[in-house]
Amino acid sequence: MHDDHLKLPSPTAWPMVMALGITLIFAGMVTNIALAILGTVLGVAGAVGWFFQVLPHEAHEEVVVRAAAVPVSSPRAVSGKVDVGVRKIIPVETFQITSGVKGGIAGGIAMTVPAAIFSLLRYHSIWYAMNLLAAGGFLSWAGASNAFLSEFHLQGLLAALVIHGTTSLLVGLLYGAMLPMFPKFPILTAGLVAPLLFTGILYSAIGVVSPILNQRIEWFWFFISQIAFGLVCGFVVNLQVKVRTPQFRALPFSVRAGLHGDTPPDFKQ
Amino acid sequence: MATQTPEIEILNQSTPTEPRHPWLEVLHGWVTTVDHKKIGLMYIGYALLFLVIAGVEALLMRVQLAIPNNTFVSPQVFNRLFTMHGTTMVFFVGMPILFGFGNYLIPLMIGARDMAFPRLNAFSFWISAFGGLLLYFSFLGGDGLYGAGNAPDVGWFAYAPLTSRVFSPGHSTDYWTLAVLLSGVGSVGTALNIIATAICMRCPGMKMSRLPLLVWLYIVTSGLALIIVSPLTAAQIMLMLDRYAGAHFFDTQAGGSAVLWMHFFWIFGHPEVYVLVLPAFAFANEIIPVFSRKAIFGYPAMVAASVGIGFISLSVWAHHMFTVGLGAGANTFFTLATMVIAVPTGIKIFNWLATLWGGRIHFTVAMMFAVGFLFQFLIAGLTGIMLSVSPLDWQLSGSYFVVAHFHYVLVGAILFMIFSAFYYWYPKMSGRMLSEKIGKWHFWLFLIGFHLTFDFMHVPGILGMPRRVYTYEADRGWMIWNVIVSSGAIFQTIGTLLFVYNMIRAYFKGPIAGADPWDAWTLEWATSSPPPDYNFETIPTIRSRRPLWDLKHPEDPDSNYEF
Amino acid sequence: MSEAVFISDVPVEPWVLPSRGVVGMACLICAEAAIFIIFVVAYIYYIGKSISGPTPHDVLELPVLTTICLLSSSFTVHLAVVNLERSKRALCSLWLAGTVLLGAIFLAGTAMEWNDLIYRHGLTIRTNLFGTTFYSLVGLHASHVVIGLLMLSLALIFSLNGSMTHMHAAKLNVLSLYWHFVDAVWVVVFLVVYVLGR
Repeated sequence: MHDDHLKLPSPTAWPMVMALGITLIFAGMVTNIALAILGTVLGVAGAVGWFFQVLPHEAHEEVVVRAAAVPVSSPRAVSGKVDVGVRKIIPVETFQITSGVKGGIAGGIAMTVPAAIFSLLRYHSIWYAMNLLAAGGFLSWAGASNAFLSEFHLQGLLAALVIHGTTSLLVGLLYGAMLPMFPKFPILTAGLVAPLLFTGILYSAIGVVSPILNQRIEWFWFFISQIAFGLVCGFVVNLQVKVRTPQFRALPFSVRAGLHGDTPPDFKQ
Repeated sequence: MATQTPEIEILNQSTPTEPRHPWLEVLHGWVTTVDHKKIGLMYIGYALLFLVIAGVEALLMRVQLAIPNNTFVSPQVFNRLFTMHGTTMVFFVGMPILFGFGNYLIPLMIGARDMAFPRLNAFSFWISAFGGLLLYFSFLGGDGLYGAGNAPDVGWFAYAPLTSRVFSPGHSTDYWTLAVLLSGVGSVGTALNIIATAICMRCPGMKMSRLPLLVWLYIVTSGLALIIVSPLTAAQIMLMLDRYAGAHFFDTQAGGSAVLWMHFFWIFGHPEVYVLVLPAFAFANEIIPVFSRKAIFGYPAMVAASVGIGFISLSVWAHHMFTVGLGAGANTFFTLATMVIAVPTGIKIFNWLATLWGGRIHFTVAMMFAVGFLFQFLIAGLTGIMLSVSPLDWQLSGSYFVVAHFHYVLVGAILFMIFSAFYYWYPKMSGRMLSEKIGKWHFWLFLIGFHLTFDFMHVPGILGMPRRVYTYEADRGWMIWNVIVSSGAIFQTIGTLLFVYNMIRAYFKGPIAGADPWDAWTLEWATSSPPPDYNFETIPTIRSRRPLWDLKHPEDPDSNYEF
Repeated sequence: MSEAVFISDVPVEPWVLPSRGVVGMACLICAEAAIFIIFVVAYIYYIGKSISGPTPHDVLELPVLTTICLLSSSFTVHLAVVNLERSKRALCSLWLAGTVLLGAIFLAGTAMEWNDLIYRHGLTIRTNLFGTTFYSLVGLHASHVVIGLLMLSLALIFSLNGSMTHMHAAKLNVLSLYWHFVDAVWVVVFLVVYVLGR
């Protein structure tokens, strides 16, 4: 079908001339006006020349096809080391990144329970923890009294929802991205890793993000909430169905059908 | 697709022209070329030239700072050195070298014969190149404070009001503005070209979901460049109006605002880091899978994370300005936005690790640089999170800690990946293999030098050594650290010289590479090395993300597994 | 040999890609929009910050007529493209001429406004922050109008001498996208400078 000529855009110096012209106009601004005049002439000439390269028809040149077709083959497959050329099958099953997000949402909801218990026990109001969190968003609340923080405030609720929601989502997202690295024990890893992540991020940031929270935070209760987050997050992730990566289909039928144990032969290379 | 008969006559007419001197012929060929491969190589060559120049400037600064009360260069020269070093490295090394690789690789990877706008491509290259020449002409022509030849000395971010006529008389600052403007025009042209190419020139079967990740990341980085280079252009036009027409944009005497320049500059300046680092990610996305002998893990997540980084990076610029006193609300917002970037970046790092995990890793020099990149980029990201916390930033801003942090990104991540890309694609570009032995010397020397310089540079920063000082007193306790930092520069210099030697040597007597030396999977390896002018004799048709895997393993093609 | 594998048993399906002209122009428009955003932000930031007169309220008048001209030129250029696509070249020339005329009226209006401001009210780019931001923003837009007008005039010339045919409709369409963008920017400039800023 292909003959021995191909069309390619023909070489042209006009774009270069135009670039030189524009540069000289600029150079004229810092040296001598004469350069700018020369630059204008070159720039216009370049623009005109370029214009006729493209219109009414794009200029093409014919190129002769020289090379023979390049054979494509894998030297590794040929060289006798059979296993190297074979498709690498790892991981066969994994969690989807969305499972991490779902876990994050569920954990975020679960986290409110210990927070509410803490508020009730210490300040006899269910809203205290929420307002404390929201105080980061309102500068005027920076010096608020405990009594003020114990009342219900609609804007406090909204701010706390936004802050808590975003953070939970993002932690869940990051966790979801980590999941393929340890897909076997999500409850353990989530119960351990997610609280660590959450605490680490907050501990480093809290002084600037919300000084008021920094002053009044109870790290014991905070840690309890973290564990609640982690365990629920891991539990939810564990409920999610593991998806088979596309590579699963590369396994031999006997493995896929479960006749051959769960470790594919290539897995242990 | 060409019809045969009429074109042969045209061809015959053009051949019997008078033979010129072969050198002239070669020069003419390069000057008039619109071929994406030649333009890509010119981009890379000219970026390497400026890399050497800006590297020498860095060396001079390190010599000056190695011991206290040094008088190796004068304060004025030192100001020019760091201004030119920063400006050159960002605008005339970083951008061109990445655009060069993009130019060379993208049409090959998507199975096209050229870029979407080949002449615009040439124009963009030449205008950036002339911009660099104009910048360096300032050493001769830019009459500055003392009337003599004078390069710009206002720092690479050129804060107002230092750039006003009153404080920067003469033309040295104008050279900076004009050169950056020219480079900006070139960047926008190439960015536009890359996007149009990646979207409109794909070969049959190359759906967006099958684009090589390198191409995807170049789309993101070019889109980002389009949006952020223009604000810099706008700010430069304002500065020109201030300096030439007597406008008052940044003139505090007339009610103008110096902080506005900072905002405009950093709206460009921060995303610019991502414009530079995303192509480095792009190289890693191609190189790590090939030397792990596994397909990249989590392709959709990688694309989503890249796009996410692109968007989030537009909302973090003011973390360069915490010390201005933006107010608690803005500080909180920019601190949080900056931290949020860790999420998509983390996703990318985990995906690279998952790609490595269980793979049969081949430690070629390219792979060694890529692994160095992974490790160093992580550390650079962690110091970035430290700096995003505004109280810590108040303490460290303007100190050598910041210098160490961003050089960790620019050198430890981006330059390492650029070296990796050279070792990986040099065989394709030249047809010859680089020496792995010299390459390993290069890697280890550069690695040691890098860590000596930039690990220990954090310390004087914490001890309070400010940026941009040309010397310091002996009793500050900074000397030992500066000696270590400067000594690392020697290792890096030797490593870089070895690299240059390796490239020159390989060009003449390196082993012939063949079309596909790495047993790789993307389309650029399906054509000869170096590729012919037309790239592919027949435009390929592909059916999966790894077309060459499909060809090499017809019994088990990828297209069976992708949807 | 390799080509055989590339092509083998791939069903011949139509492989349609977006037009590179449109994509390129869209990218250019993104970049230009970013420039205008910065100038608009500077304008808004400096509203009322001038430390001496004249103020916008004293000297600016609503340029209603020229605005109508510029905005209606979007329709005329669109009609020109449509007619070129249908090979009605005379009509295309007519609408192109209309577009150029309307654009020229807009430019003339701006020139008269500036003349008035400079010589009657003594407002130059050096006078105060209002002058600085006003002339740079409106001037930046006007320079885009000038470039667009030059291109449209070229198209008109080639349309009149018959070298522009329906083969070039796609290219004229790309040019018209640019012109629509210039008009859209004027809407923003008008609102910011003449409505919000006064």
